[in-house]
Amino acid sequence: MVVEAGLAGEASPSGTSARGLDPEWGVGAWIWDTNRFDKQTCRFWRAVDIPSDAPVARARLRITADNGFRLLVDGREVGRGSDWRSLTEYDLTALLRPGRHVFAVEAFNDRLEAGLLAGLVISFMDGRVVEIGSDTNWWIVPREERGWERRRQPGPGWRPAVVVGAFGAAPWTTRPLAVTEVPPLRPLELRFWQQGWFQLTLLACCGATVVYCVGLMVRLAGQREAERLLQRERVRIARDLHDELGAGLTQLLLLAEVARKEPGPWERVRESLEALCGRARALSVALDEIVWAVNSRRDTLRDFVSHTCKYAQSFLGQAGVRCRLEVQADLPAAPFALPSRRNLFLAVKEALNNAVKHSGAAEVFLILRCGRDLVTVIVEDAGRGFDPALLPADRNGLANLVQRMSEVGGHCVVESAPGQGCRVTLEVPLHPPTTRGWKRFRFGGSDPPGAKAAGELRAMPMPCRGADGRKP
Amino acid sequence: MNAEVYKPTDRALPGPLRVALVEDQREVRESWARLVGSFPEFRCIATCASGEEALRTLPALRPEVILMDIFLPRMSGIECTARLKATLPDSKIVILTASDDDEMVFLALEAGADGYLLKRTEPESLRAALLDVWKGGAPMSSVIARLVVESFRQKGRGQADTVRLSAREEEILVLLSKGYTNKEIADRLEVSTETVRTHLKHIYEKLHVRSRAEAVARYMTARLPRAEG
Repeated sequence: MVVEAGLAGEASPSGTSARGLDPEWGVGAWIWDTNRFDKQTCRFWRAVDIPSDAPVARARLRITADNGFRLLVDGREVGRGSDWRSLTEYDLTALLRPGRHVFAVEAFNDRLEAGLLAGLVISFMDGRVVEIGSDTNWWIVPREERGWERRRQPGPGWRPAVVVGAFGAAPWTTRPLAVTEVPPLRPLELRFWQQGWFQLTLLACCGATVVYCVGLMVRLAGQREAERLLQRERVRIARDLHDELGAGLTQLLLLAEVARKEPGPWERVRESLEALCGRARALSVALDEIVWAVNSRRDTLRDFVSHTCKYAQSFLGQAGVRCRLEVQADLPAAPFALPSRRNLFLAVKEALNNAVKHSGAAEVFLILRCGRDLVTVIVEDAGRGFDPALLPADRNGLANLVQRMSEVGGHCVVESAPGQGCRVTLEVPLHPPTTRGWKRFRFGGSDPPGAKAAGELRAMPMPCRGADGRKP
Repeated sequence: MNAEVYKPTDRALPGPLRVALVEDQREVRESWARLVGSFPEFRCIATCASGEEALRTLPALRPEVILMDIFLPRMSGIECTARLKATLPDSKIVILTASDDDEMVFLALEAGADGYLLKRTEPESLRAALLDVWKGGAPMSSVIARLVVESFRQKGRGQADTVRLSAREEEILVLLSKGYTNKEIADRLEVSTETVRTHLKHIYEKLHVRSRAEAVARYMTARLPRAEG
């Protein structure tokens, strides 16, 4: 029973009618392109529509080619052969689900005769049998065509194949030597990890992970920087403890020993003891200062301001200079990192020291302000003043100030003129430059303001202060 | 403490001031007792090793001045101050601190302390400071003055808000916070130093009244200074 009509439909070239398959071997005729040459690759294309109302009971395809072939069903390669004398049989039962299926054969001719021989027999559950042989209903695909093995329709420039010889006719008079049966083919089932969406998601995950890792690495680098800083601080603290406390305690001990061994009058012993008390007191102050500098509970701006005010008052008080404080009301309790507050404090100390030593002023103003991310401390006096231009560059404490400020990304301006007093303005960012560096990396952007360390000595007349400040 | 030198002629004392000490370290306690006793103006009548002991013994003795260590085992000096002040409102309590910690001192002042001293204070300053405290107008450092002004300006403290500083009192506090001494403030405001001292006394009282309006319990559990450190 041969029922082919309505199966291949428009997917076959018109004209030549289908011929039956060879009853013994179940194949059609030898077909090829109209012209033939050596080392030729010829592509054949054929579509088969499987109706949805009748499931396929069995489908087998026998194929061979002179000299070789590659068979693709629905774009998937199912087999190859290279001996024209033996037929290869493929069981396609599982592949031929209802719908259109595309058979594509890439045949290769080495030299002289060339041909493709094939026969497809499909038995349906309802008893129908469809036989499709190699005949003129196959299309020849031009060489330049891409993705042809997946095309659902024949292309516009395609030609029908031509029969170059009947089965068993010359030059292929030899009967097939054997039929090689290939185990039944199973439809390809894509596992979830083979699906596009999954691979895309995986790729996205990988990308995100890489980005996250890079972020982590950058953070790690930042942390390492912080650790380095901490290490430096630890070394400094150890040095301070050793230099200040260690040396101080040794002095105490010596003073006490001297007092103990003092053979002289009571007054001498008393003097020694008084020196001992004074030294111990100074030591206690030094300890307070060291502890303040490292106490993490004191890492806020308020604490910095309190400490600085107290220091200024006590230092200026001892020097017999009046201390005037102007602290901005409602200072934020913002954190103020250790290196910044330490350097700023030491700079203020230096500035106060300079004022006491050189200005000859009766009072010194200490002004503390805080902007959004900038802490400003101004030390001002109405004393002698000086001409910054005449100051020898190598020996002034002002260079120290500049150095200290630049260490923490701050800024220092010294304004003075002879007879006009002196004003030292110290500005430090609330957040240390290390985190700023990381931010710069992250946002790949511009230099943050204040990052450029700068110090300058500027000669300028001092503007008069308002009535609220200094009394005449 | 930026105390002014006390002149004994300012006011005649009926007798030596009766001073009590609360300090947990034995050596420090005994040294302080001897130091205080070495001045003719003071007599050390009791020493306590803990806040609990102080609460047990001091109310009966009614000392005029109590020197209180801020770091005590179990009950902190701040809590002890708050409790003692409730039973001995007329005794003056002076906080002793080893380190200059303003926040802590301010907490103590709020709890009812009348002044504070660094433990390393020279004996002469100690004498002056104790006498100042007894007279009511304990000197106030600029930092503490600033904290007091800020705390009074703060809103939202419930009924304690009814206690307010007068304009003059605030003026004095602001001058103090700018580093002026009592004497300079007196000159500037054209009043006597005694008046400035009286104002300070009122400021301390208001601070105490205000904190009394809040629960004493505030100092009992949450704010133990040792736990914070």
